[in-house]
Amino acid sequence: MGSVSTYRIPALFLLASLLTASCTERIDIELDSTYRRLVVQGAVTSDSVRHRVFLTTTSDYFSNMPSPRVSGAQVELSFSNQRITLGENPFLPGLYETPVAFRGEVGTTYVLEISQVDVDADGQNEEYRAESTMPGGAELDDVALRYFSSPIVNGYQVLMWASHPVEQKDLFGFRIRKNGVLITDSLASYTVFSDDLFDSGYLPGFPVGFLSDDEPRERVFPGDTVTFELESIDQAYYDFVTDAQLEIIGNIPLFSGPAANIKSNISNGGAGIFAAYSILRASTVLEP
Amino acid sequence: MLRMLKSCLILLALFISTILGAQGNPTISGYVRDAATGEELIGASISILNTSTGTIANAYGYYALSLTPGFYNVVYSYLGFGTIIKAVQLDQDVVFNVELSEESLELEEVTIEAERPNDNITNLETGSTRLPIQTIRKIPAFLGEVDIIKAIQLLPGVQVTSEGSSGFSVRGGGRDQNLILLDEATVYNASHLIGFFSVFNNDAIKDVKLYKGDIPASAGGRLASLLDVRMKEGNRKQFAASGGIGTIASRLTLEGPIVSDKVSFLLAARRTYADLFLKLSRDETINQNRLYFLDLNGKVNYIVNERNRLYFSTYYGRDVFANDFAGMYFGNRTFTLRWNHLFSQKLFSNFTLVNSHYFYDLGTPEGSSQYFNWMSMLDDYGVKGDFIWYPSPEHTFRFGAWATYHGIKPGEIEAEQGDITMTSVLPVNHSLDDGLYFSGESDLGEKFSLRYGLRYSMFHNVGESTVYAYDEDYQVTDSIHYQAGEFFNFYHGLEPRFAANYSFNDKQSIKASYARTRQYIQLASNSSAGTPLEIWFPSSPNVRPQISDQVSLGYFQNFLDNALEASVELYYKKMTHSIDFRDHAQLLLNPRLEGEIRVGEATSYGAEFYVKYEREGFTGWISYTLSRTIRDFPEINQGNPYPAPYDKPHDLALVLTYDISPRWIVAANWIYSSGIPYTLPSGRYEVAGNILPLYTGRNEYRLPDYHRLDLSITFKGKQKPGRRWNGEWNLSVYNAYARKNIWTLNFVQDAANPEETYAEMTYLFSIVPAITYNFKF
Repeated sequence: MGSVSTYRIPALFLLASLLTASCTERIDIELDSTYRRLVVQGAVTSDSVRHRVFLTTTSDYFSNMPSPRVSGAQVELSFSNQRITLGENPFLPGLYETPVAFRGEVGTTYVLEISQVDVDADGQNEEYRAESTMPGGAELDDVALRYFSSPIVNGYQVLMWASHPVEQKDLFGFRIRKNGVLITDSLASYTVFSDDLFDSGYLPGFPVGFLSDDEPRERVFPGDTVTFELESIDQAYYDFVTDAQLEIIGNIPLFSGPAANIKSNISNGGAGIFAAYSILRASTVLEP
Repeated sequence: MLRMLKSCLILLALFISTILGAQGNPTISGYVRDAATGEELIGASISILNTSTGTIANAYGYYALSLTPGFYNVVYSYLGFGTIIKAVQLDQDVVFNVELSEESLELEEVTIEAERPNDNITNLETGSTRLPIQTIRKIPAFLGEVDIIKAIQLLPGVQVTSEGSSGFSVRGGGRDQNLILLDEATVYNASHLIGFFSVFNNDAIKDVKLYKGDIPASAGGRLASLLDVRMKEGNRKQFAASGGIGTIASRLTLEGPIVSDKVSFLLAARRTYADLFLKLSRDETINQNRLYFLDLNGKVNYIVNERNRLYFSTYYGRDVFANDFAGMYFGNRTFTLRWNHLFSQKLFSNFTLVNSHYFYDLGTPEGSSQYFNWMSMLDDYGVKGDFIWYPSPEHTFRFGAWATYHGIKPGEIEAEQGDITMTSVLPVNHSLDDGLYFSGESDLGEKFSLRYGLRYSMFHNVGESTVYAYDEDYQVTDSIHYQAGEFFNFYHGLEPRFAANYSFNDKQSIKASYARTRQYIQLASNSSAGTPLEIWFPSSPNVRPQISDQVSLGYFQNFLDNALEASVELYYKKMTHSIDFRDHAQLLLNPRLEGEIRVGEATSYGAEFYVKYEREGFTGWISYTLSRTIRDFPEINQGNPYPAPYDKPHDLALVLTYDISPRWIVAANWIYSSGIPYTLPSGRYEVAGNILPLYTGRNEYRLPDYHRLDLSITFKGKQKPGRRWNGEWNLSVYNAYARKNIWTLNFVQDAANPEETYAEMTYLFSIVPAITYNFKF
């Protein structure tokens, strides 16, 4: 609710009816090719898990094939004077995991280094690096569901009660699970929030998601358990998500600036994101 | 600063000596008016028969010619009006208020000069066009709504920024680089309905003039153009009404004398009524929508005496787009109070008080469970004094001063969500721009004339304000707070303007001009079409004023007794301290907006070809512009130059209107332009189930070329002697051959096969017919 992109939604809705006269249709268009870049999806969280890094490459826009995976890379994670080598999963090429589960610590800087890869196929290996410091400090008190009805949309709002330090800039990500299944499982459905505009320190009953009655995956019934995850994220991850969401929405001449590459914290021209973030959880069961 | 003051004093001394030297000659002066309505005719030509001596009526219809004593035949002419020649024995100051009749030649005093005026050859203006409102009304209009901005988009050097939009780009400039004045009040958002219509109700408009670069020294504050729109004064002769009932909107204008030949008024209203039809729907999500815009124009004029006149004009416009769930409201409001005073027949003055206001408000109804409200507004309060001195037919001088306060409230947001209320108010930007100007026009012999001007503009930021300091990564490193009323930042600069005309004869001339313009407030927008939610922001310690230097050279030639006007103009424009924004900039509700700005240079150059024919019921023109506009920003596009968003190398407009008979008029437009620059992906990658694009350069592709044909036919009712009611039916067709012009192009991830993506174009309009009934009595 607090992010500006959220406020754009009613405006988009209002303006959308103006465009009822407009039409869309598929067209054929020729696009140029470019050399391949490394794409990184990696995270260290405050959960005690084997942390993962997934390496793929870019491809031609209309290749319409799964992204090529990058195997055989040297992937290392260093933090607090430790250096861990991630091993490639033998069943899932391109997926690299820490040898053991561990819990990421708030305030710790995690450095990811990738080497022994020749993504652009020029015969020379490249090296990539990314780092992220895990933010924290928030406290999640409670989560609740409240029914919302309007002529346009009906469903349950997910509300959270949380506090966060006023003296620091806080960036959050919101994820919602229904009966353990992640509902916000794509970049488009993942909500990020900055306290730039509202920095009260306490967010009582703050709306963090919506479970629509019209979406079978989202619709909740009595007895369903809804789990909310409050993630404290860093600026690079926040920028990556907001940039990606603008690109996913696409170009609307009324609102959109020129299309642009999504910011990444991967060095050497890599794409994607490596993020360290802390997670807080709270659940509620919809009463009959 | 001292050097500048010294220069100003020298200019002033020269100016005064010129004034004193010209005191001796008698002056013929007065107002040129429309005989039917008493409206002053802006830009009417006044000349001495068979000489090159002459002048042009100013924006209030006033003229003055100081001549050596003698006998003269004074010719009064105006496009579309009959010409009058008055024989004058000039021994002392005389006042001639002249009335010209539309579409007919009237014998008066001596004889008739049937040839059309050749002002386009003799005047000093390059890159400027006056579009008669009568011509604009004949051009086929989208949904039948005659629109002056859509009409000026058909001129050379003017490009529409997005399909159907009222935004326009002049010689490669941005949408916010056009100064749009309505009776001298700035109109900050000239669009209705997200740009499909402009705020100008043609029934209330008398005169439209666009300056594309050689902007008069009396105006400034924008880099690219001045669109000077003047409202009608109101019929001084008799009560009259006009209006129309159209497909989307209806209009009604009332005007007439309050005190005959002394006080007149004008009231004009326009409202769309799509929402009235929406109520017929059984669907609740549709019939509860309120969707309309309205315009109200009002004006009162008081001729106090021969030396003093008062004008008060106002405009109020509002767009409403709401239902029970949410709403958006936005609009402009302007007030202008002007006092014309003649210190003498040779010294005309105008003093103006002006207020411009723009606001938007978006939110849900108060008390709703999801209440939020987001609003923004800006206000200008200005005072201006303008003087025109006519010491001799060879010399005209203009000078004046202005001061305008800008108060910009970038955003205030309030939300109530269950137990919490959150409010965030971005601080108001206070600033003051002021300055003074001087310009002169001099005829140096029969063939050569000059215009020279200097504008000295100043800009002050005023507290209360917090100014942030940014590092090279645009992260805030520090901030300074300034108290309310504290002047904490100052920019100033000279803006020279220069133009020259060499007339080979009365049919051919060559003109050149140079103009520097400075812009101190700009729009925080990087979209092509623009929305009502955009905000303006001022120069500041972090944002230097934008500067444009433009040179142009034009060749003008008339044929067929001036019925055929042809010109070619070349221009080159360099813009420094140009503003663009970082990739994926956050421009709304951003307390650190200045951190999103990137600064660079832009260059625009081109050739404009214009051929216009007007005779015996036929009006038509072809305008073709060959141009490029390139931006060069070190921190955008990896430092590589890229085409500006409105860079269209080829832009062609063909406009034809023809009166088949006194009752039937047909008209057509055909528009062709290169596709706009566009950023398209060269690769893709996948993150968390989403296919994401990979780009290799900004604006490195172009959309397909744009073209469209519009048609209209007008059928006028029979005119009968003694009957005042005149009605006409207008049938128009927009995009007659249903060209699917791309409004936007997106790439869609196939829901059924997420690995597959495809390109999807959106086009706004297919063929759009409309019917309108217009009337006047």
